[in-house]
Amino acid sequence: MSDGHLFNNILLGGRGGTNPGQLRVHSGGVAWRKLGGGKVVELDKADIAGVTWMKLPRAFQLGVRVKDGLSYKFIGFREQDVSSLTSFIEKTIGIKPDEKQLSVSGRNWGELDINGNMLTFLVGSKQAFEISLADVAQTQLQGKNDVYLEFHVDDTTSANEKDSLMDLCFHIPNSNTQYVGDENHP
Amino acid sequence: GNYRGPVKASSEMNTYKNVSDIPFSKELMIQVDQKNEAVLFPIYGCMVPFHVSTIKSVTSNQDNRTSTVRIIFNVPGTPFSPHDANSLKHQGAIYLKEITFRSKDPRHSSEVVQLIKTLRRQVTSRESERAERAT
Repeated sequence: MSDGHLFNNILLGGRGGTNPGQLRVHSGGVAWRKLGGGKVVELDKADIAGVTWMKLPRAFQLGVRVKDGLSYKFIGFREQDVSSLTSFIEKTIGIKPDEKQLSVSGRNWGELDINGNMLTFLVGSKQAFEISLADVAQTQLQGKNDVYLEFHVDDTTSANEKDSLMDLCFHIPNSNTQYVGDENHP
Repeated sequence: GNYRGPVKASSEMNTYKNVSDIPFSKELMIQVDQKNEAVLFPIYGCMVPFHVSTIKSVTSNQDNRTSTVRIIFNVPGTPFSPHDANSLKHQGAIYLKEITFRSKDPRHSSEVVQLIKTLRRQVTSRESERAERAT
């Protein structure tokens, strides 16, 4: 297939960091192939539920949410890629990419938003971080107000990060009414 | 030692103005930005900034070849972090309380812990001095 856009050196972000690879956005969907072989991510356009752009320091991140609730993050686009890809995605996949913003305020208080498998910590309606609940090995309620999320530790991944996330804890004060009596809360 | 007094957490806390002000790093690892008094954590491939005044304590643990870095943030209603104007203002907010990283590089992790502690001390003593002068 010759249609679509090809990007070299696009990082796939996940719990263990990022892996470099090649991303192709074509009329049938999105495909990412790890540099040197190995992992392949193929997203059919019929399965794509949402697309987002987020500006990072020196790069843009394309987020693709699929209908089973998972979300993929592709990092490393340039500013000019954003506009061309946006119109291409709108035209061929039929989804208008949303814009998300990274929280730069440095605060540790905000809101939690759970959408499918993704849990987002929002600070002042901007995203501080997003984690995949599929990577969570265990959750624990400690006391009345603290929720621990423990992540799978995978030694075999070749991801490049030096420091990797092990666990997170959110403090939900009594004054929070969002999750009172919510059995589905992680 | 660890200074445990309440840290002035301004409700106008704005560590960075723009995404492009965040220092760029090629490597995903915990970083300390002295200039902006921030600590950056690699979460899902992104560097996420937190102002040093949100941090209550930081510890590292070494065993064999891996080490862990645990950061505990200020949350309301716990001993040593009394309700300040800030937490009252943000009723209903959810707090990030703790985050733990495993590091492949023990030297880096102990260095980063020291840097966070030092920066924290500097900022706290500056803020308490400022509070004293104000009275």
